[in-house]
Amino acid sequence: MAHLFDSRLTRRRFLKVAGMGAVASVGVPGFLEACAQSSTGSSTGSPKPATLSLYIAKDTAHPQQQAQLMDMIKAQFEKENPGSSFTYDTYASAGEETTKLETAAAAQEGPDIFEFGSTLVPTANATGAFEVFTNDMWNRIGGKGIFFPPQLTMSGPSPDKLIAVPVSGNPWALVHNKAMLQAAGISKVPATWNDFIDAAKEMTNGTDTWGTAMAPADGFDPWHKIWLFVTQLGGQLMDSTGKKGLLDSDASVEACAFWLDWMAKYKIAARQDAAFKGADEVRAFATGKIGFSVMTGPGGMATWDSSPVAGQYEYTLGPTVPYGMSSLPSGGKPAQGFVSGQYYTLFKYSKNPELALNLLKVVVSPEIQYQYFQLRKQQPVVLATFNKYPELKQGNWGALYDAALKAYPTPFFAAWGPLEVEVGKAINKIASQIAISGSYTMSDLKSALTQVNQELQASLS
Amino acid sequence: MSIKGAALRVAVAAGLHPTGRFSNRSPVRVPYWLLSPSLIPLVVIVFIPMLFAFYISLTGLNQNTISDWTHAPFVGLKHYLDGLEPNGPLAPSFYGSIKASVIFSVATTLFILPIGVGAALLLNGHIRGRSFLRAVMLLPYIIPTFVNGILWRLIFMTNTGVADQLMAALHLGSRDTFWLIGPRSLWALVLADVWASWPFIYLMALAALQTIPADVYDAAKIDGATPLRIFGRITLPLIAPTLGLGIALSTINHFNNFALPFVMFGPTPPDEVNVLPLNIYVNSFITFNLGLGAAMSVVALLIMLTPAVVYLRAARIGDAD
Repeated sequence: MAHLFDSRLTRRRFLKVAGMGAVASVGVPGFLEACAQSSTGSSTGSPKPATLSLYIAKDTAHPQQQAQLMDMIKAQFEKENPGSSFTYDTYASAGEETTKLETAAAAQEGPDIFEFGSTLVPTANATGAFEVFTNDMWNRIGGKGIFFPPQLTMSGPSPDKLIAVPVSGNPWALVHNKAMLQAAGISKVPATWNDFIDAAKEMTNGTDTWGTAMAPADGFDPWHKIWLFVTQLGGQLMDSTGKKGLLDSDASVEACAFWLDWMAKYKIAARQDAAFKGADEVRAFATGKIGFSVMTGPGGMATWDSSPVAGQYEYTLGPTVPYGMSSLPSGGKPAQGFVSGQYYTLFKYSKNPELALNLLKVVVSPEIQYQYFQLRKQQPVVLATFNKYPELKQGNWGALYDAALKAYPTPFFAAWGPLEVEVGKAINKIASQIAISGSYTMSDLKSALTQVNQELQASLS
Repeated sequence: MSIKGAALRVAVAAGLHPTGRFSNRSPVRVPYWLLSPSLIPLVVIVFIPMLFAFYISLTGLNQNTISDWTHAPFVGLKHYLDGLEPNGPLAPSFYGSIKASVIFSVATTLFILPIGVGAALLLNGHIRGRSFLRAVMLLPYIIPTFVNGILWRLIFMTNTGVADQLMAALHLGSRDTFWLIGPRSLWALVLADVWASWPFIYLMALAALQTIPADVYDAAKIDGATPLRIFGRITLPLIAPTLGLGIALSTINHFNNFALPFVMFGPTPPDEVNVLPLNIYVNSFITFNLGLGAAMSVVALLIMLTPAVVYLRAARIGDAD
């Protein structure tokens, strides 16, 4: 070997050394990987002890409680699987979530378990980088039947091709400030959007108090609202094949116009809202400046319970009859929210899939599910938890339970992600126009939606 | 190895010895061998990924093909045509981003140039607390970009932000002025970046000023030159090569700035600040359209060759060869 490092470097010597280096660099990791794979436990019997890795969403509203919950899960998992443990890393934005997904899918290497929000599950499914759960796998974690049925509609493209295990729910409902409603002389929560606009006008003085708020600059809020209104109108944002965008359809234009008119025409939301993101709307409700927060999940409770509106807010089902109508139009659905929540998926290239199933079993146990509610104010997704802990169906959580039951799944299309961005671009553009000039024209809106639909179409073809 | 052997090898490497192992090599090739430790990593880290990026730009790489990305369908120039053809579906977004990036980078550079040079002239003289002030001047430059972005987002919040409060107090504008949406968003971004990046020009100018011999100024003063004339005839010409380099590098840096607009405006920014790096990021990492993102990156690279050529020319200024 020593002769290779002789001081005289010739072309032949160089090639010899370089060749050995190349073989080593290619061969050694492959050899090590082969060793690692051969040590993976078989599908029968107890899996070999190992340390799993998780990539999960950061709970920015309850960071300490999330850490506490993960510690509880870890303690239970380690107790049931002696010698095994897990580590976890968190992401705080959709960008981080998708970047990690892309990297892991392309490299075929990454965490054993990924957590995704419901609308990213179709994208994750499209990558083909996640295990499709067999009946045997479902049975290993307690069976499909243990889950709140609507949550499974976003677990995969069809009941026999589910890739994601629900771990928590995020139902959408209407929240109102009881004191503001009472002060405005409104005794009944609106069931139609006409009633909503009337009630919101009553609560608006145009300076300090507003009927509601909007968050058109948010990355998610625009498509949430537009999906809601389009669904109630009987339309769709994308055709049933998932290959054609319908962002410029009549229903889409009408839906966008109705939402933007909260600022421009009905003036029940402040023009400043044009720059709002979701957190700004939560804060506006917390300060008692707005009467309604439309299509809101339980996430705002952490802020509101330590604000002047503590004990003064109430969740109810939101309006389902489109504005200007007395009943649902043909094809319209009484949607007031979509199936939403967090899901755990099993990475196809995990070296410890058996152990990962054992961990999933711990996460969906009724006791841990209850801690999701207790510590993180998230809705559990396992039926036994609701039976065992009655407070999950009482008060505001009762309304959220009803909301979850009535939630509609969004289409399971991989292109839903691009659609979200394109809707946001069009809404953001017109909302800016309203903020500055106070109004917009339907032709501007139609033009903006046509443009984003073209962009969406280009990414679909 | 003996001392004699080492000396012989150095001599051969330098092309001084006509015989030996490298005797059949031209001395001209020797520098290339010596450069290889830096050239090889450059090829591996920069040029090969660039080739990959170009290849990806010709494919329909997206969420459906990412797990088997080497077999992503070949779509040829589709992404380029979608973005560059005047009637292409992505042309408004693509050209809008190029326009936003060019305006942003040029405007920022134009603003930071006088500020940086002015500060350098001030602190090149003998003033009290010069060392302290020189350190303070660097503060904006060392603050992480994302912190800077959050800071300026708060400053520009409508109604509650410092910018609106200040404008209202000075009767210069309404408390409801929008900075984070609409046309003013561009100026908000430029202002935030000017604040963060002017010390770069300051550093370049200060370094150049310190190379000018004092006796040149002494001679000019003896000849009765005014301070303005000294600046125009001596200082500026002597620091111009360095400033030219600074301008080119600054333009490139601002054009490529992703973090600041992303933190200030998020993934769905107003059109005015939808700069090219942000557009590329959204296409590549939010909507999973990696082929399109790669095509945009290739075009961005071609655009950046313009200031890069200026940079290379600037780098050669003063080169005796």
